[in-house]
Amino acid sequence: MHELQEDPAPGEETVKRPRGRAIVITSGKGGVGKTTMTANIGTALAQGGAKVALVDADVGLRNLDIVLGLEARVRSHVLDVLEGRVTLDDALVTDKRVPTLRLLAAAQTREKDEVDTTAMHALIDTLREQFDYVLIDCPAGIEKGFTNAIVGADEAIIVCTPEVAAVRDADRVVGLLGNRESIKLIVNRLRPELVRRGKMLSVEDVNAILRLPLLGVIADEPGVIISTNKGEPLALDVGSTAGAAYRAIAGRIAGTNTSKPLIPQPATFLQKLGSFFGGRR
Amino acid sequence: MSARRIVLTSGKGGVGKTTTTANLGAALAKRGKRVVLVDADIGLRNLDLVLGLEKRIVFDLVEVVEGRCQLRQALIKDKRFQSLSVLPAAQTRDKASVSEQQFAEVVNGLDELADYVLIDCPAGIEHGFRNAVAGAAEAIVVTTPEVSSIRDADRVIGKLNERDMPIRLIINRIRPEMVRTGDMMSVEDVVDILNVKLVGLIPDDEEVIDTTNRGEPIVLVPDSRLGEIYEKIARRLNGENVAFTTLSAPGIFSRLFGQRKAG
Repeated sequence: MHELQEDPAPGEETVKRPRGRAIVITSGKGGVGKTTMTANIGTALAQGGAKVALVDADVGLRNLDIVLGLEARVRSHVLDVLEGRVTLDDALVTDKRVPTLRLLAAAQTREKDEVDTTAMHALIDTLREQFDYVLIDCPAGIEKGFTNAIVGADEAIIVCTPEVAAVRDADRVVGLLGNRESIKLIVNRLRPELVRRGKMLSVEDVNAILRLPLLGVIADEPGVIISTNKGEPLALDVGSTAGAAYRAIAGRIAGTNTSKPLIPQPATFLQKLGSFFGGRR
Repeated sequence: MSARRIVLTSGKGGVGKTTTTANLGAALAKRGKRVVLVDADIGLRNLDLVLGLEKRIVFDLVEVVEGRCQLRQALIKDKRFQSLSVLPAAQTRDKASVSEQQFAEVVNGLDELADYVLIDCPAGIEHGFRNAVAGAAEAIVVTTPEVSSIRDADRVIGKLNERDMPIRLIINRIRPEMVRTGDMMSVEDVVDILNVKLVGLIPDDEEVIDTTNRGEPIVLVPDSRLGEIYEKIARRLNGENVAFTTLSAPGIFSRLFGQRKAG
């Protein structure tokens, strides 16, 4: 187990470790899958042995705790830490499944305007001293909550669904992110069958507008809704297609996976037949 | 007669507020009502796209507030319905550029021009939410049958209750086959938790992805299942007593194994 030290003495091991990476997961438009993506990428990175902190920046409408199945274990939140009521160490909730994964929950009964942007930046910096990855789950929109979520991150992942409205919002957010070290794209909820019939934008259509390095593509599947409702990230499910895609994305972030993202294709007749007789998946 | 001012809100983003606003507005206009749709999502507007009107925008809500144009000049008439128009949000400004009072004044200015003013609220509960709600006398909360969406809806209903306005509920993106297998919450579960009056049940249907991308209201698609559902919601909103009918769900699973309510 690793130790969390707020103020390491000079010369100790913690001082020498490189600063962790702070990555914000954002989109502009809501409901495109930011929170599910944060939970799954974080789980997959931690499963690979990295120390990962997930920060829910959606003060007032938090959900990352639910998606991770940790809602009953949350006792304190970001604002408790920023306002000095608890230590950072006490506010971090350890994941049930992956011991190197921690959650810092958002306050549910407070407002985003109450979070000081400078203090939020300092908090992310502190987390970067202790973790290999700090993933920040950004709220929808581009108001104060967005500003606070992006302030400490020098990398960003844009989650976008193949819809005109989501692409337009994502494009706006890319503009607002400015000169980040890296801005990469995940296309979420692709329905290959609809793309084939010309009823949905393709990954190429989306990226013709956004023009970002592609980190991965996740197909729309009911399994994601089920796992989100149950609080069990699919990244741990070795039989799930989406789970494999989340793990591949985590590998690309860590640099251990150099393969190009797979674009999900429509199921063949035999696959459809198989899923009809064999149930989902 | 003064207009009914209704905000469509959800807390969580991406549950279908904008699509519902556009289609409900079109359904009301189809019934002969004068309807103005107000996009309150300053900075991330999309209502214009969903109605295919994005190229016709000349002025926006912020310019009305700042007195740079008349309210009537900023209204864009729909291509298909004479009595439907949109007041677009500004795209390159932020939500704080309009105060709650200014927003309410703009909406009040629509009183003589419309029977219904539907306000498309942004996601979240920040300034943009407060503006959208400040302009409304009634609310429709849109949710999907997912835990996170319901939690956010519950939080928003709490905030709306503080303002003492009538609240109705639309449950969107229901997947009957998932409800049947116990993988999705049922309508009854959602209504139990949120405890507000139900006005619409909308199944998840890929048809809406395509019509939304093309900027076409689904009530104009002949024999559209979703189109009929939006028309029913419009009638309920208009005070008619329309039963929630039982429709068969799409897909072979539900055709073989059961039927769920929709409407």
